Amino acid sequence: MANKIVNFLGLLMVSAMLLIISVVLPVSIMPYFAKLILLLLAVIVDILAFSSRYYAYLLMPILKQRSRHIILSKEDAYWMATSADSILHRNNEDYIATVYISIPLYLSATEMPDEQKLEFSRQVSRLVGIARDPVRFTSQMYVMNKDSYIQQLRDAINLSENEEAELEQKPDASKDAIERVKGKTAMWRNLLDSISKDLSFELISYASVSGVGSKEYEAVSVAQQKARELMSGIGSIFGITPSIITGMQLKKFIEPDSLIPFSTVTEQINKNLEEEVI
Amino acid sequence: MDEEGAIFLIFSLMLILIAFSLLSSFGKGIYPIIAVLILVLGVVMILALNWADFIIMPGITSMLGITFQPANNYYITKRQDAVVKNVSGLFYATGYVTANIFGYLFKEESAPEEDEERLMLAPESYERLVMNIDFPYKFHVISSGMDIQNVRDELEGKRSYQEFEMSRALQGNANEVTITDIQRKMNVVQAKIDRISKGEKPIATLMYIETTAIGVSEKAAFDALEEQVKRLQVAFSAFDLELRRIVGRELYTLFQFNFALPVSFAEEASQFNQQS
Repeated sequence: MANKIVNFLGLLMVSAMLLIISVVLPVSIMPYFAKLILLLLAVIVDILAFSSRYYAYLLMPILKQRSRHIILSKEDAYWMATSADSILHRNNEDYIATVYISIPLYLSATEMPDEQKLEFSRQVSRLVGIARDPVRFTSQMYVMNKDSYIQQLRDAINLSENEEAELEQKPDASKDAIERVKGKTAMWRNLLDSISKDLSFELISYASVSGVGSKEYEAVSVAQQKARELMSGIGSIFGITPSIITGMQLKKFIEPDSLIPFSTVTEQINKNLEEEVI
Repeated sequence: MDEEGAIFLIFSLMLILIAFSLLSSFGKGIYPIIAVLILVLGVVMILALNWADFIIMPGITSMLGITFQPANNYYITKRQDAVVKNVSGLFYATGYVTANIFGYLFKEESAPEEDEERLMLAPESYERLVMNIDFPYKFHVISSGMDIQNVRDELEGKRSYQEFEMSRALQGNANEVTITDIQRKMNVVQAKIDRISKGEKPIATLMYIETTAIGVSEKAAFDALEEQVKRLQVAFSAFDLELRRIVGRELYTLFQFNFALPVSFAEEASQFNQQS
C-alpha cells in the first residue's frame, strides 16, 4: 500500500514538473512545439501514475528492461519449508508460509436422500464461513499418476525384448523358449496399451491457509497455528479427521505438471499420434 | 469504486484540469487546439483505464508482443490470459475463469424456499459436472470473515443513499425502469441486512476456476486450454454462475495465490474490483 502511494505521488510530481516547465518557460527558450511535446509527456506520465495503482509491478520492469520478455522475478515461485509441511514464498521483506490441509470426504450425492443432500450443502456453507482470516477451499480434479506403473511396464518390455534378442542370437535356443519370450513381450505391450488407453482421474478436496512473518520459522508457525484451528473446525463440521499435507505430496496442489503427470500423458499423446497416423 | 480508486482518479484528473486552465501559455492558432486534443486524450485514457484496464492492458501487451516471467520456469502470454510452464518440451498452460455463486444469490434476491431447493440440487449437479469433465481443473473458494458491525454500517449507509435516490426519482418524474432498478437495489441491500440480523455471519468470498491444458507445442496447449475453458463454462452454467475468462493483472494475482494466499481481507479485496 505504502509503495503504491509512493509510486503514484512520485509519478504525479514528475508529471506536474513537466507541466510547470512547459507553462513557465518563455517562448524564446522553448518554442510552442517543444512545449506541446512536454505537455504530451506530462499527460503520459499522469496516465502512468494512475495506472500504477494496479500495474506498478508491470510498469516499472517494462520501463527498466525495455524488452519483449519482461522478467518480473527470476526466483522460484516457492520453496519447501524445512519441516516439509508448508511452502514458503518471499514478498519483499516478509515470508509467507502456506499450509495445505486434506479434507477426506468420500460421499456420493447419488446415494444420498434429499435431506442428506440439504444437510451436506449446509455443511459446505458452514465450512466456507468457518474462518476469520482468508482461507481457500478447493475441489481439484487431476489426472491419476500412473507414471511409476507405466515405467515398470516399460522396464518389463525392455527386459523381455533383450531376453528375446539374446535367445535369437543363441544357435541352440529352442523355438518354444523364443515363442514364450515373444508372448511375454506381447503381454506387457498389451497391458501398457490398455493402461495408457484412457486417462484416469481423481477428485480431492483441500483447504489452504497462509501466515506471514519476518522470519521463515515465524511464518511457518503462524500458518501452522491457523491450520490447526481450521482443522478442528472442519473436523467438527463433517465429523472427519483432516490432515496436513507434507513432503512431495504438496506438489500435487501447486505444480501444473503434477496435475497431468509426465509419463502418463506422454503415453497418451503417443497413442493418439499413432491412432492419427493409422 | 473504493476510496483508494477515487483518490487515484481525482488526483490524476486534477492535474489535467490544471493543464486546461493554463492553455493560454501554449500561444495562439493551432497550438492550443493540439494541447486540448492531448488533454482530452489523456482524460479519455484515464477514464478508460479506470473502467476497463483488464481489456486495455492486455491489448497493449498483445499489440507489442510483450510476455512476462512471473517466476522461474513460468511465463505469462502476451494476451495475459494464460500462465505457461515448459517441462521437458511439454507445455502446461493454465487459465482462470471467475465463478461467483454468492454474488448471484444476492442479485436474485432469492427466497429461502428457493435457496433450500437449490442447496438440495447442488451436490448432485456438481457430481454430474465432475462426471462430464475429462481434464484437470480446480474450483477455488477463498472466504474471509468480515466485521459484522462494519458491514452493517456500510449496508445501512447504502440503504439511506438509495432511499434518497428513490425520493429524488419519484419527485423528478423518473421513468418506471429507473424506479424498478432502484427498488431492486434496495431489496438486495435489505436482504443482506435481514440476513445479518438473523445471525448470519457476513463473509467475503472470491470464487474462481483454474484449469490446466497440455500440449507438445505452445499453440497446442493454448488451443486445448481454450477448449477446456469453453467446456468448463458450459458445465458450470448449470449453477447459474457468472463465468468470465480472467485476463491481465487478476491472472497474475491468482497465479501468485498458488504460492501465497492473502493474509487479510483488505489485501484480498484490493486485488479484485473488476472481474470477481
